[in-house]
Amino acid sequence: MMGFEDCFRLLYDRLKTEIIVTSAGNTSELWWEMSEESERVFYLEASMSLTSLFAAGIALGNPGKTIIAFSGDGAFTMNPGMLFVEKQLDLPNLKHFLLSNGCYGSTNDLTIPYSQTIDYPGLARAAGLSRVYSITSLQELEQQLDTIIKDPGHTFTVLHVQPLGRRALSPPLDGPEVKFRFGRYLERNGGRTIFDTQLK
Amino acid sequence: MPNARDAVTGQIVDATAKCGITAIASLPDGWITDLIAAYSSDRRFRHIAVNREESAIGFCSGAYLGGIASMALMGASGFLTCIYALTKINYTYQIPILIGITLRGRPGDRAKFHQSNGLYLEAVIKAIDIPFIPIERSEDIQKIPVAYAHSRTMTRPVVVGFTRELLQGQA
Repeated sequence: MMGFEDCFRLLYDRLKTEIIVTSAGNTSELWWEMSEESERVFYLEASMSLTSLFAAGIALGNPGKTIIAFSGDGAFTMNPGMLFVEKQLDLPNLKHFLLSNGCYGSTNDLTIPYSQTIDYPGLARAAGLSRVYSITSLQELEQQLDTIIKDPGHTFTVLHVQPLGRRALSPPLDGPEVKFRFGRYLERNGGRTIFDTQLK
Repeated sequence: MPNARDAVTGQIVDATAKCGITAIASLPDGWITDLIAAYSSDRRFRHIAVNREESAIGFCSGAYLGGIASMALMGASGFLTCIYALTKINYTYQIPILIGITLRGRPGDRAKFHQSNGLYLEAVIKAIDIPFIPIERSEDIQKIPVAYAHSRTMTRPVVVGFTRELLQGQA
């Protein structure tokens, strides 16, 4: 099992050009703490279990970009049916990472009681997903990350990590600022027009 | 020659296309199965059959940031399960979304299990300040592009509600 921060540090060091969508709690807080990025990252803090489908909408409109969605296992267990929709969409540029730490990271690491019994990769395979990865060590992640990210095709990757054990700060950005910074970034970088009013 | 029901379905689909909408995320209600089938078979749209109504809200909200115009289509009961997603995602980040729902539970709907929608649906919509445009007669269908444009102008959700009589071609 990986340390949460070690895992995320590796991801941050390697994912330099992709579009990132983080979820409530640890993934938003840690990405902000490590990067203070405010353009290519959508901090979707206000969403339980909808990160990957939110990211899917972005991915559908940006086929030339790789979209990374981070979910926590607390969110995932609320809506595992997301996998059926991801399978149906089969977006080759959507890469879904499930951070499995067995607890609700945004609520003081309270244990998910049934987390030890759930086989997340097995669930994904049963949902019909073909490119499913289960990663338990930094070495494995380092070796497989390029394949997961760069080979075309939707992927679902379970990252087995320890609870973070602390709270980091939420990104200090109001929702509309997150939207505009992210959207303008996409518009400037080859994305479709999003906003009705364009800045000069 | 299409019957009245098919004609209304076609008019709704055409009005949606007129908005520039190219993606429909839906979960069925018995009243809108014809409509969902029409979107699904129409090459102007990509139809996404979601697993639950909140997933439609999540997907359509992301599609907005992908530069794709979309609509979430669902039944009244399903809409009521979306309050969290709408108030958290669409209100927090000011993301517009057009939502089409059925107006279950109105007088004439004989399904007892939908009477709670008759009592509370429109009250809940009002309570969270979502603009609501009922589509009750075929001439109301032209309000769909207005609703879509209004959603983008105010960068918030807008709901259009379809009656049974309209969807059956009786109004």
